[in-house]
Amino acid sequence: MTIQLVNEYGKIIMTSEVIATLAGSAALDCYGLVGMASRSQLKDGIAELLGRENLSRGVLIRQEGEQNDIHIDLYIIVSYGTKISEVAHNIQNKVKYVLNDLIGLEVHTVNIHVQGVRVSQ
Amino acid sequence: MSKVFINGTDFMNMVLSGANVLHSNVEKINSLNVFPVPDGDTGTNMNMTLTSGIEYIQSKSSDHIGEMAEAFSKGLLMGARGNSGVILSQLFRGFTKAVQERNEINVVQFAAALQQGVDTAYQAVVKPIEGTILTVAKESAKHALFISHQTDQVIELLEEVISEAKQSLARTPDLLPVLKQAGVVDSGGQGLVFIYQGFIEALKGNFHVDNEINHTDSQQITTNKPKPAQSSIATEDITHFYDMEFFIHLSKEVIFDESVLRKKLAEIGDSIVLIPDDDFVKVHVHSNSPGDVLNLTIRYGELTRLHIQNMRDQHREIVEEAGSIQENETFNEIDETSVEPNLEPKTFGMVTVSSGEGISDVFRSIGVDYVLFGGQTMNPSTEDLVKAVESIHAKYVFILPNNSNIILAAQQAKDLIEDKEVIVIPSKTIPQGLSAALALQDMNDSDENEKIMNQAIQDVHSGCVTIAIRDSQMNGISINEGDYLGIQENQIVTASNEIVDTSKELLKQMITPDNEMLTVFTGESVIVQHTDLLIQFVEEFYPDIEIEVIEGGQPIYDYIFSVE
Repeated sequence: MTIQLVNEYGKIIMTSEVIATLAGSAALDCYGLVGMASRSQLKDGIAELLGRENLSRGVLIRQEGEQNDIHIDLYIIVSYGTKISEVAHNIQNKVKYVLNDLIGLEVHTVNIHVQGVRVSQ
Repeated sequence: MSKVFINGTDFMNMVLSGANVLHSNVEKINSLNVFPVPDGDTGTNMNMTLTSGIEYIQSKSSDHIGEMAEAFSKGLLMGARGNSGVILSQLFRGFTKAVQERNEINVVQFAAALQQGVDTAYQAVVKPIEGTILTVAKESAKHALFISHQTDQVIELLEEVISEAKQSLARTPDLLPVLKQAGVVDSGGQGLVFIYQGFIEALKGNFHVDNEINHTDSQQITTNKPKPAQSSIATEDITHFYDMEFFIHLSKEVIFDESVLRKKLAEIGDSIVLIPDDDFVKVHVHSNSPGDVLNLTIRYGELTRLHIQNMRDQHREIVEEAGSIQENETFNEIDETSVEPNLEPKTFGMVTVSSGEGISDVFRSIGVDYVLFGGQTMNPSTEDLVKAVESIHAKYVFILPNNSNIILAAQQAKDLIEDKEVIVIPSKTIPQGLSAALALQDMNDSDENEKIMNQAIQDVHSGCVTIAIRDSQMNGISINEGDYLGIQENQIVTASNEIVDTSKELLKQMITPDNEMLTVFTGESVIVQHTDLLIQFVEEFYPDIEIEVIEGGQPIYDYIFSVE
């Protein structure tokens, strides 16, 4: 799937990978997120190297509906002791803002799937 | 006046006063908010978070600081709003853990509790953004630990904490470019300073619920504080120097298009923040022609709550003030660095051995500090390993040899290194090394990590495909020179003269119904069509398996498989 922007000089075409990476990076800026999780809900493995290069693996971009609205699903792991709903809300907010700010993309929905909680100590 | 211990009642007064000072400055904090989303609500969020904390603490009445802190921390957690609110709840969660069992605390315990708050807050985030409330909390807590050995007066300690917090706040624009760009200090950090400021007011006995007194008091703080950050910029460098902020009450007749206004404003100014609400738009812009900005925006409706300030003017004042502040502070800074050198080693480092750029990149991307080149035919020497370990500034270094022939050299390297603890994880294959490296967690201690990493090695199945260099007979399989060998762990399990057949056969032996994931590292001489055939085969026969293909670029092995 690609996103097209048209201006007076021509077209800009961006793959969903780009959007996924931006969304992933934006999410990482948010407090309380300790990792991105596999979106396939399988156990994490070598293929799930969710370092910066691969963080888009925890992100799913869909284009649906009559308006071709953009929907984003983020699969995350949060830290124990944070208010999960608020952490998720902050991420939604940040992702929506960053995508609008950087590529002028209006995101319809940002769904957060909390796949795990990291309990330390 | 003088205080050596803080009990539960003191603590309650401190947080009430802190909340009060913050409350009086909500708008000020809101106006600083540019990160993570410039929606101007940090102050509001922190205020709501604190209000919830206060509700909980007021429902309790005890002299036991542990109980009071627990109530407050619970309230913060329940009412956490926004990033800054969540961080605040974590800071006090850690603080509470430290004082839980105590009736009252002295300066040393207070400083330790601040530090534990910071530790807890930092654990809850994958990538701490420095230049935020986190940094301010961290640096002031560190200073508190230092000062706590020099005084037993809580007020004195807090004064030092606040002074350090202010300096730290002033440095935030140097850490976070977006702050510098907007010419502000971090809003959350500013909020924390206000809270600390409230703490000390309470201890000094200046705390009145009367808003006005606190308001003027903190107003004064506000104007002094954020300034030194900007003294690094020359006054003339401020190109757009009228700082304008106002609301447009949108008129019903005009269609408001945010992007159009933004574009037009960008032509005559910068640092533009537009926050549209239902019928209001908040506008913040720096411009040299304030008249044009007003003419442009007034078309959309009535303008209210206009603030226009000359930033050059403000800046000149700042620079003058900053000069005088700096003289006082040099003493502290020198003192601190001599006690705590900045080059603190990190806890864990990793050295691994790999061949192929692709694989090395993967290792680096998951946090391995040093990747030595080597493999089946070219093993790094003990000396190479020692050098690699020495180059890492860490307390514990894990060596992942990824080859049975290198394990011994790694053991020897371990014996030669004295200034740090070396732990060898006996990984025999690349997939094992990757699994082990992934398992390392900073929050665990070294024993725990060693255990987890060794376990990770057991959990992954490795296979590889390579060419036979001579005729032989092994495990009942006859092998001709030039045949492709399928090796599972370190046993040859299949061989044929066709690479795809060998690979298929090997995978059939490796994959069990429990497996969920296959990672394929392709060698430097692999043909793409072969890989495609292989993927097709796996997709067809093992539909439940997720496949990841990584260009490993390794010599000798055409394919390295990892099955989990």
